Amino acid sequence: MDKMNRRTFLKVGAAAGAAVLTSGCFGWFGDNIPAAVRNGTALYDVLIIGSGGAGMRAALEAAKQKGLKVAVMTKMVPTRSATCMAQGGINGAARHTDEKDSPASHAFDTIKGGDYLCDQDAVDFYTERAPEVLWELDYSGIAFNRKDDGRFDQRKMGGSTYSRTAFSADITGHAVLHTMFEQCLKHEIDFISECQLLEIVTAKGKFSGVVAMDMRSGNIMPIPAKSVIVATGGYGRAYWVRTSNPFSSTGDGIAACFNVGIPVKDPEMVQFHPTGLAVNGVLLSEASRGEGAYLLNKDGERFMARYAPKAMELGPRDLVAQAIEKEINEGRGIGEGLSSAVYMDFRHLGRAKIMERLPQVYQLALEFEGVDIAEQPVPIRTSCHYSMGGIDVIDYKTCATKMPGVFAAGECSCISVHGANRLGGNSLVEILVFGKSAGAGAAEYAKSNNYEENKEALQSAVEGWNKKFSEATGRSTGPSIASIRDKMALTMWNNAGVFRTEPGLTQAFADISALQEEYKQCAVGDSSKTFNISFMNYVELGNLLVLAKVIISGAMARKESRGSHSRVDFPKRDDKNFLQHTLITKDGDKLKTEYRPVVVTKYKPEERKY
Amino acid sequence: MPITLKIQRSLEGKQWTQDYSLELEKGMTVLSALIKIKETLDPTLSFTASCRSGICGACAVRVNGNAVLACETPLGDLVKRYQSETLTIAPLANFVVLRDLIVDWKPKYTNLKKIKPALQPKDEFSAAAGCKQSPADFKKYQKNSECILCGSCVSECSKSTANSNDFLEPFVFAKAQKFVADSRDKDVLAHLDPAVKEGLWKCFNCQQCAAKCPKGLNPAEDIEKLRIMTFKKKMSSNAGSDHAQAFYDDIRDTGRLDETKLGFKTEGVKSALRVPFAYRLMKTGKLAPFEKTEVIPEIEKVRTILSAAKEVK
Repeated sequence: MDKMNRRTFLKVGAAAGAAVLTSGCFGWFGDNIPAAVRNGTALYDVLIIGSGGAGMRAALEAAKQKGLKVAVMTKMVPTRSATCMAQGGINGAARHTDEKDSPASHAFDTIKGGDYLCDQDAVDFYTERAPEVLWELDYSGIAFNRKDDGRFDQRKMGGSTYSRTAFSADITGHAVLHTMFEQCLKHEIDFISECQLLEIVTAKGKFSGVVAMDMRSGNIMPIPAKSVIVATGGYGRAYWVRTSNPFSSTGDGIAACFNVGIPVKDPEMVQFHPTGLAVNGVLLSEASRGEGAYLLNKDGERFMARYAPKAMELGPRDLVAQAIEKEINEGRGIGEGLSSAVYMDFRHLGRAKIMERLPQVYQLALEFEGVDIAEQPVPIRTSCHYSMGGIDVIDYKTCATKMPGVFAAGECSCISVHGANRLGGNSLVEILVFGKSAGAGAAEYAKSNNYEENKEALQSAVEGWNKKFSEATGRSTGPSIASIRDKMALTMWNNAGVFRTEPGLTQAFADISALQEEYKQCAVGDSSKTFNISFMNYVELGNLLVLAKVIISGAMARKESRGSHSRVDFPKRDDKNFLQHTLITKDGDKLKTEYRPVVVTKYKPEERKY
Repeated sequence: MPITLKIQRSLEGKQWTQDYSLELEKGMTVLSALIKIKETLDPTLSFTASCRSGICGACAVRVNGNAVLACETPLGDLVKRYQSETLTIAPLANFVVLRDLIVDWKPKYTNLKKIKPALQPKDEFSAAAGCKQSPADFKKYQKNSECILCGSCVSECSKSTANSNDFLEPFVFAKAQKFVADSRDKDVLAHLDPAVKEGLWKCFNCQQCAAKCPKGLNPAEDIEKLRIMTFKKKMSSNAGSDHAQAFYDDIRDTGRLDETKLGFKTEGVKSALRVPFAYRLMKTGKLAPFEKTEVIPEIEKVRTILSAAKEVK
């Protein structure tokens, strides 16, 4: 070969330099997670999973304890969670609008609304702290609508005796979430972003850490921690085709807790919101009925007169949802099959009030259904909305579970304040009251307990997941994630939905078991390590299938109708046998069903009338 | 109707455009089309989405070079608007792309932190009793509180595209204005000062952020409001505010802009460094240093307009 001339020499040099630089870039995934987590040297005192309102509130509380290492892990980035979708408002007897209101009245409404499946001591704890939470939020900078006297305004929501719901137009959840995020930025809370929880690891019966996947690099890594607060949201996506929940509500944290032996409490208590858009299940806020919208059947009749003659449209969610489905079943709805619906009518409120109080409702109806609600009624139908059930919390003051070091708060938890049916405006206040309790509880635990190290268990969990990743992403044939998911959702909606029967639930259980077999052979279709959303969806579907079975088991065993659990074959509430919480625990490959009596203090169960 | 989506993809250093053909169904949004592609044509296509109702901000992408929230944008409308059955979908601009349509938010949060994005409540308020604020004062920042951190404004910002090193994202300025306008906040300067230091006067005023915000916020107007506030707070002058002041003074004095003095008034002695630039301007007739700036005959009318403008809140 001739001597290389100068130009060629420079070209080759430049190419080599560029190659070195870019290959360096491939290995760099940004700083979504702290370096100590990436290189495996981190040990957290309090690790929070989930960056919704509960998770961020918990982090703020835990971080008040100086010297504790606290971080919030999330599978997306903060502010994308279900909290931002809460619309109507946040409850608390602050008495700004109604002098007669009190925490006791709030407690009674909550317990009655929950059809007496609430633990009454926990409810008292919760409603007594609710007003404080509202004032604290105001002081943290939330954009609450105001009264003329300068205090924040409060309106009335379904099932409430007084006007006790503070609000930011109809985007209150968004306001709460962003206020929490602002506070987290102010207090320099660490985020472990874009990391999917895969497994909780224990040692000697105590919590020892979690295994998670860094979505950016695909690395499956152990994160050792003294305590964990699970705040990952509900399992509404088990009803994929008809739910108001975000794509991310796949019950990841509940499934992880269930897999290490923590019971799921009252899983059959799934709330169906009365007013989802007929076209896609997206929610039209309860504030719609709060502000006076009517529900009409195909004949233009305000049918709630038949079901709740006093409260009418402002009856609690379970009653209104069941009324809507009954109208449809008895032929007084519009449309057919899954697209059946009734109407919600805003016209009498006038355009001005609609635009001032319900701007998001207006926008959603226009965008998705093409209806100007100031001119026309909009077709709506029930939509799976909220998981009253969840991780069994055994101490409402600290949000501890039976597993030392594992705490839970928010929709993923079941502290038993919502019982068999949650009232509108009660979830936003729950995530803050119990987020705070969980943060303090976990911090206290971390201070007074030694770390239970179990490197082998963490490492073997990591290896197990690496193997699972290779297998699931390596298969080129098999059923798709979407096909299994859609079949799951259909059987859940048809057989474990608003109305349930023994044969239907038996069918659903068999369907889900068959789908779990299919799942073992399913093809992810993407083998990349970089941001493999398909693998994330695969993990989420696995969690949903586990929880679907848990929901069905709870529903089969509860042979009564209470709140949102409506058994056509057992239409009456049965306090003699079922004034109890369902507890479903993993027992090898099977599910074990047990019961724990409801805590009743002041309020004797009576029939609900609205 | 069959349509084609040309999607800009990237993975591990490779970049390519991939065409996907699908049937435009009734009610199909950009997001439902992306989901359809992922579920039926190509499981490797990667994007983020969460609430699908326009409130979580996870799914913003660029269609034909314009940022939209994928979940609330009907594809049929876009086909009509662009009069084409072929649309281009790309990740948001002015973000680092992680894969396909997924972008890196971390640097944006770092910038957000700079303007102290939390209320600093006045001493008369407390966590135990909350705050007080009139409904009218509430309205002054209510719109600013509706930002969903979707990044659409950043994607289309001309200034960020030209150089984002000396400029914050438009939504960060909107957030600063939220606190500056909130009557409950005791320390306007805590938010305003970093805004000035991080490029408040460098906005091109192109209005793209206002046009593209899916929630109807107006960061460009917020930047104007923050600029006005720097005068009200008599904050130390800088090239941006001096430039604006020089315009104002000239118009008030003569009704005309005197470009000869503008450079000196804006940059002071530093403007001497611009002599070569001034020379080129003179050579092309854009600058005439020896021409006398005469007061226009209707100067009183101009001054009336100026004082009327000052009264507008």
